[in-house]
Amino acid sequence: MTTSANGNNTYRPDAIIVGAGIAGMQSALDLADQGLQVLLVERESSIGGHMIALAKVFPTLDCASCITAPKMSASAHHDNIRIMVNTEVQAIRTVRGTHHVKLLRKATYVNFDKCIGCRLCEYACDSEYPDPFEAGLGARRAIAVPFTNAIPQKAVLNPELCTTCGSCARVCPTDAIEYDQQSEVVEIETDAVVVASGFALNSLNIKPQYNALQSKNIISALTMERLLAPHGPYGRVLRPSDGKIPSSVAFVQCAGSRDVSIGVPYCSRVCCMYAIKQAMLLSGALPIADITIYYMDIRAFGKGYEQFYQNAKAMGINFVRGKVARIDPIEDGDLNLHVETTEDAENILQEHHHDLVVLAQGMVPEWNPSLSTPVAVASDGFVATPMLTAPTSTTANGIFVAGVASGPKDIVDTIAEAGAAAMQVSQYLYQKRAAQEHVAGPVLVG
Amino acid sequence: MAHTIDVEMMEKIKKHGAGGKLDVSACFNCGNCTAVCPLAEDSAGFPRRVIRMAQLGMEKELLAQEDLWRCYACGECTKTCPRQADPMQFMAAARSYAISRYDPTGLSGLMYRSPTFNILVFLILSGFFSVLLLWHQGQRSLASNGGLFSGYGSTQLFRFIPGEWVHSIGIALFIVVGLALVFGFFSMTARVMGKKNQAGERRPFPVSALIPSIYSAIMDALNHGRFRQCGEDEALEAKPLLQRAWFVHGAIMWGFLAMMLATTLDYLLKPIGSPVPPWYPMRIMGLLGGLVCLYGLSIAISRRISAKETPYDKSSFGDWFFLLLLTFTVITGLVTLVVVYMPHPTTFGYITFMSHIVLAMDLIVLLPLTKFAHVVYRTLALVLHQWAKAPAPETAAALATHP
Repeated sequence: MTTSANGNNTYRPDAIIVGAGIAGMQSALDLADQGLQVLLVERESSIGGHMIALAKVFPTLDCASCITAPKMSASAHHDNIRIMVNTEVQAIRTVRGTHHVKLLRKATYVNFDKCIGCRLCEYACDSEYPDPFEAGLGARRAIAVPFTNAIPQKAVLNPELCTTCGSCARVCPTDAIEYDQQSEVVEIETDAVVVASGFALNSLNIKPQYNALQSKNIISALTMERLLAPHGPYGRVLRPSDGKIPSSVAFVQCAGSRDVSIGVPYCSRVCCMYAIKQAMLLSGALPIADITIYYMDIRAFGKGYEQFYQNAKAMGINFVRGKVARIDPIEDGDLNLHVETTEDAENILQEHHHDLVVLAQGMVPEWNPSLSTPVAVASDGFVATPMLTAPTSTTANGIFVAGVASGPKDIVDTIAEAGAAAMQVSQYLYQKRAAQEHVAGPVLVG
Repeated sequence: MAHTIDVEMMEKIKKHGAGGKLDVSACFNCGNCTAVCPLAEDSAGFPRRVIRMAQLGMEKELLAQEDLWRCYACGECTKTCPRQADPMQFMAAARSYAISRYDPTGLSGLMYRSPTFNILVFLILSGFFSVLLLWHQGQRSLASNGGLFSGYGSTQLFRFIPGEWVHSIGIALFIVVGLALVFGFFSMTARVMGKKNQAGERRPFPVSALIPSIYSAIMDALNHGRFRQCGEDEALEAKPLLQRAWFVHGAIMWGFLAMMLATTLDYLLKPIGSPVPPWYPMRIMGLLGGLVCLYGLSIAISRRISAKETPYDKSSFGDWFFLLLLTFTVITGLVTLVVVYMPHPTTFGYITFMSHIVLAMDLIVLLPLTKFAHVVYRTLALVLHQWAKAPAPETAAALATHP
């Protein structure tokens, strides 16, 4: 499935998809189902992207992993899809319509061909570090399968924390541990590329007046997703600093976007809705807790979203209009929020006391392709999509974009756009090959 | 409540901003500015609501906000504004707009908006005062006077320009300026006191609280009590005391008051033009005041020149004009103080002396029309605000009987 491309120079996929989140997987499946050969490249150790880590999705409150996991297995088991995890795109060079994609295959110190995912190495390992999949709340061993439903189910060794004690190699039934494995660079040719590299969140501390570094109880929305997920780090919602059950949770919206002073003027488009969703889930998980959302405008623009917002209000979730100006850590790990309640006539300056604060950080691009590929980015840093009538086209011929790589959007829009990108790729390949046959014809005759 | 809307007001206020670059229309009313402000209280006037009034064209309400003058421009709001709408500069522009609207002549508005007009007025006034001062000189023959350059000390200076003449013109100016300020003073007082709250009620303004309000406002103006709370963020706190904004402003103000006092006492206690030794108390007070004031001015000017940090990075022409006028007045005054004790009078000395008198007269006569007007309006705003906060007599009585 993820065999090395080395020594297999004949492998030439029809399309390479950069990023195996929900957008990349959807594009890959839509192309593969048309009989095209697809290479799905992922930087992390598992496919699935951010979505596999989410608790539930808005506005239906469907279980996120129940939607993502089947897509992950479908991609992994598809005859026409090949997956490379722990792989980064280093550069794309386009020569006469052929894209030469240079890939860095990072060493995992585990031979994936031999590893059977039995996890004996993980159980034997003594070295632990904060689990990135659980937003640092749980622990992961230095050698481990990334998370329960990761695909591929292969152990990966973290060289930063490995003490090379040899325990894992001793217990491995298939001798898959290779301490001397090296990263390698491979170059693969293809006709089309889809950039589906997704997003990162900007720093929790991007607004210094929120003092996020001074309190463990000022958390990211993705951390809240893990707290809410049924298979999350604690199995219930506890606040990180002391494990207390929160009694008053605040959501601070626009904490990393729509803010020129931090260089992110655009709206991240999903924060209003996920805050409402998390607030609803919290009122189920913590029935007596007060939940407040501090917002500037509620942007409930999608199908069924406004109803979702109205339902949240009816459930008793507090909505306070006003941008939180400052968050001060106070005694017992609690937090004081300074806000002007802009809809009130009197007593507009308020200090609100909460014991857990979720910051709606801004979405920023995960990858800047303009540094090493022909794809240009727009002034906001996301991939530029200059053609209004072909929103998945980039500035480079034969390279397309899907999902958040071209700008913040929710899962619904991401999946629709991934399908559109796949359609554009297959159309592009069809036309390209038809033209080649047309050109080749007379040459053969002549 | 009916509101009269001035749809042009926002554009007019923008013209009072520095370099016409004030983009306050970008404000989407999130309330960050008010919540981050170290001085904001639960009153209507702090940045967001005033910006909203400007956006909606509610001129009557905006001009009734004494809170405009309770902002000391620490710049916290501007540094953290999500839209970079620059609320701090808006507050400054709104203050300048308010001065132009309190002033019945409309001249201050022209002065603020047009640097050319400002300079023209300055030149015409300076020329006028120069001619007025030299009038006597022209009428007297230099020979009978012993010439410009005979004799020593201030006696000679006042033979050049007679002291009585300077003082008469000065007093006349004070009367003219006083009258102009009285208009502005009553205009602002009437608007602020006429302001109604959401329920349509005026604030109490009990007569008994007037004197204490004046006292506390003047004390606050003198010791910069509120100004000290302004901008208490770490960046500003980290600055040594001598460089904090309130201290720099205080130095300018205390130095200026010392010079004013020295001049007044000189006028009242000493025969005009009589020579005194350098250690004469009023001379020492004037000298020290001048140096302290110059210290403040030099920091204020150098920060505006380097323009690296908020709030010094955007200065309007009005800011510069007032600062420079004051600086040159102080410098020429200090030089004159030295010149008086020179063994031989020089042309330079006479020119400095005359420049000092002309600049000081400009400063006074332009007081109601320039940024200098803040000494009146800011103090008045502090008084009115204190006064409005005092409980109504019946409430006070109730509080006294039921503590």
